[in-house]
Amino acid sequence: MLLEGRKISKRFGGVQALSEVDFHVEAGSITALIGPNGAGKTTLFNIVAGAIKPSSGQTVFEGREITGLPADEICRRGIARTFQIVRPFATMTCLENVLVAAVNRHPRRPRAALEPGARDLLAQVGLADLAGQEARHLNVVQKKLLELARALATEPRLLLLDEVLGGLNTQEILQAVEQIRRLRDRAGITILWIEHVMGAIMQAADRVIVLDQGRVLTAAPPREVVSDPRVIRAYLGE
Amino acid sequence: MISSSKWIGPAVLAGMCLLPLPLGIYPQHVLIVSLFYVMMAASWNLLAGYTGQVSFGHAAMAGIGAYTSGILAAKAGVNPWVGVAAGTLLAALLGLGLGALCLKMGGIYLSLTTLAFSQILHIIIVNEYEVTRGTMGLQVPGLTAEYSKLTYYYILLAATVLVLFILYRMIHSNLGLSFRAVQNDETAARAVGVRVLHLRVLAFTVASAMAGFAGGLYGHYLLLITPEIPSLDLQFYVLAMTVIGGMGSFVGPIVGAFAINILAEKIRDYGEYHVLVFGLIALVVARFAPEGLTGVWRSLGRRRTP
Ligand SMILES: Nc1ncnc2c1ncn2[C@@H]1O[C@H](COP(=O)(O)OP(=O)(O)O)[C@@H](O)[C@H]1O
Ligand SMILES: [Mg+2]
Repeated sequence: MLLEGRKISKRFGGVQALSEVDFHVEAGSITALIGPNGAGKTTLFNIVAGAIKPSSGQTVFEGREITGLPADEICRRGIARTFQIVRPFATMTCLENVLVAAVNRHPRRPRAALEPGARDLLAQVGLADLAGQEARHLNVVQKKLLELARALATEPRLLLLDEVLGGLNTQEILQAVEQIRRLRDRAGITILWIEHVMGAIMQAADRVIVLDQGRVLTAAPPREVVSDPRVIRAYLGE
Repeated sequence: MISSSKWIGPAVLAGMCLLPLPLGIYPQHVLIVSLFYVMMAASWNLLAGYTGQVSFGHAAMAGIGAYTSGILAAKAGVNPWVGVAAGTLLAALLGLGLGALCLKMGGIYLSLTTLAFSQILHIIIVNEYEVTRGTMGLQVPGLTAEYSKLTYYYILLAATVLVLFILYRMIHSNLGLSFRAVQNDETAARAVGVRVLHLRVLAFTVASAMAGFAGGLYGHYLLLITPEIPSLDLQFYVLAMTVIGGMGSFVGPIVGAFAINILAEKIRDYGEYHVLVFGLIALVVARFAPEGLTGVWRSLGRRRTP
């Protein structure tokens, strides 16, 4: 078990975004996190990544508790993320965006030594030609890809993807799914993946955690989940 | 911009070396004061522009530099250059201490603490008359045996080049990548492992050291150190220069410092109102041209060459 959440709750004023959420992610798996809008998926990511603190509960990564650690420390422990609403470093070039992550992973290595790796990552996500372009000039899809390259440059063991397929066409979705699979198969990165595109999840995920109104509805392999009447009700009731 | 950046630095420097030669004493004085403000604004910008933390104690740090060096020289006969080094070090230590103390609490706390620090320092200087000569001012020796405006100009110019060089190297190093990431998006920067707190403490320490250094030299230029150096007036000048010139850009505070200081000399006749005028200009700029004069210049350039 790579990541475990124990009774995680989060309250925003009057909104109970998460209530005693128990979940886990197996090492080497692609685990999907689905649920209707407002179910609390992004909030759970924010808690795991240290962007916000839970009201109560614990997160455990590789057997060590990481609850409430600052986001940069959690990154150094091996968890990287992308943002549902993209947050590239707008006035920096694509290459610099990736380099920020690389130099903080390897503070002692000179920039020149890290640049080839950063360019490789950009090439992997198909942004090689835009390396010198400032991130603010990219379209949303390119920004998402840039965030993926940037997250990978932190050399994570667990990658949190928040709706990376939004805005892609069918062909691009297939490529992206293939790429995410490769990350797991070749680089051995465990993936926790929030996604609305069910087809992609059916193809790629080993296990699906379903959140609804801040609670875990079920956690099972994709085939079981799509035929689960509770899940169908949660989505139709939206 | 990228192709011209190779020669633009040396060209400006050469120009700056020749600039005071045909000028009289008074314009030379204005330039020397401007150089002091360039160091102040550029170093304040490291903290405010690049890490988003507003310190109101930057003028106070200049005061620490000026009074440390001044008191050592006037009371203990210490060589002014050694005094300037001591003032720089003390300002750095105070920056490190205050930074470590309140940057963790985040946001507004550094602003509040530095405001308090600045006021406390002011009170101490005014009241410890025996040591500081209060508002009368402390007479201090000069940096060189003979007093010449031109010599001071070159000393301040060399100091400014040193400060700008260090800032430039910082901003263009690995560290600088992280600074710019924080400037763009703190949350995203943390998420990729940037130690935002360390970065801010470092920025505050370096900025404070530079203010102490600038203040130390400035005091030995003025020959009379008064509480006007560590004053909120001077602090707001530095703030206005940075905002008007362009926060978070390398050239912004340099342009802002020269523009505002020279303009201030022109409208000195309006007395106290000129501080008010710059405050208002800074507000308007912050609202309508947040990238300052250099930002406006850049966007004009973009429009001309599409
Ligand atoms: N920072 C916040 N402040 C207040 N409410 C929030 C905040 N973040 C999320 N919420 C609320 O928490 C609930 C869950 O949101 P979120 O985690 O973004 O859902 P999902 O990602 O599953 O669509 C929503 O009702 C949302 O409005
Ligand atoms: Mg979401």
